[in-house]
Amino acid sequence: MSEAPVGNLNMLLVEEQTLLRKTVSLTARSLGLGTVHEAASMQAAERMLGERAFHGAVISIDCGADENCHYNLALLDKVRNGLSASAATIPIAVMVDQATADLMRELRERHVNRVILKPFRAKILLEAFESFGTVAAQKQAT
Amino acid sequence: MLAAPIPAYDSERLAALRAMLILDTPPEERFDKVAQFAAQEFDVPIALISLIDENRQWFKARVGLDVCEMGRNASFCGHAILQPDIFVIHDARADERFADNPIVTGAPYVIFYAGAPLPMPSGYVIGTLCLIDHKPRTLDTTELAIFSSLRDLLVEELSNPAEAPHE
Repeated sequence: MSEAPVGNLNMLLVEEQTLLRKTVSLTARSLGLGTVHEAASMQAAERMLGERAFHGAVISIDCGADENCHYNLALLDKVRNGLSASAATIPIAVMVDQATADLMRELRERHVNRVILKPFRAKILLEAFESFGTVAAQKQAT
Repeated sequence: MLAAPIPAYDSERLAALRAMLILDTPPEERFDKVAQFAAQEFDVPIALISLIDENRQWFKARVGLDVCEMGRNASFCGHAILQPDIFVIHDARADERFADNPIVTGAPYVIFYAGAPLPMPSGYVIGTLCLIDHKPRTLDTTELAIFSSLRDLLVEELSNPAEAPHE
């Protein structure tokens, strides 16, 4: 993946709530945190991950009200197994409705950098993207 | 109390607001979502989309407030629409413009207020997106930027005359 100045980072946000997604994207731009590319669905994210290299991603795998749901970890696997246009080691934060021991183990195995629990706030997502910028800057410095 | 000032161009501003045919219309999900998002994001008990009519502020969307309108004279939003950007009162009890305002000393007990003006394509500000808390608050740089983005998205939505289908 090519190096980029911190303010020029391309990051991915996978989240179905339009208002949250757009607010984060607009605010990241206004704060100079980089460009947050929006994906409203896993399918859209999968396509975008194949087309462009990202410096980090925040991915919602929220199950909503479905108690028996299986979290979709396919996107994480795709990135971590080097099957996307991004480096396999990019920082990734995951948004989930609740943190079960099994899920945390699955996320640890996939080297997820941060877990964000409900209620999802734009400020928390922006902090995650900001930390990705710090990681990118550190990589450039070394 | 300093009453909300009436700008010299208020009749033109009111004409622009009334031409939108939005006053006294039923609630719309697209606007309710904005108020709900604001209340959750900023953890405030009250969030409003307030439109400033001639003698009243009327709420197109509201969280945490039972009434659909209040007098313009005592409104904070009446001040906010005259500001170039987000208008923040950290503690109304310590601000001589608002300390004896009846909505500070009584219900709904506006202690913290932040109002983002809503400028329409006409150039006139029709109202605000506002946050209210019953205790003193501050907004940091990131929160102000989020509030500004949310306002921009609301202005975009207000500029669309009909309710668009939702995903």
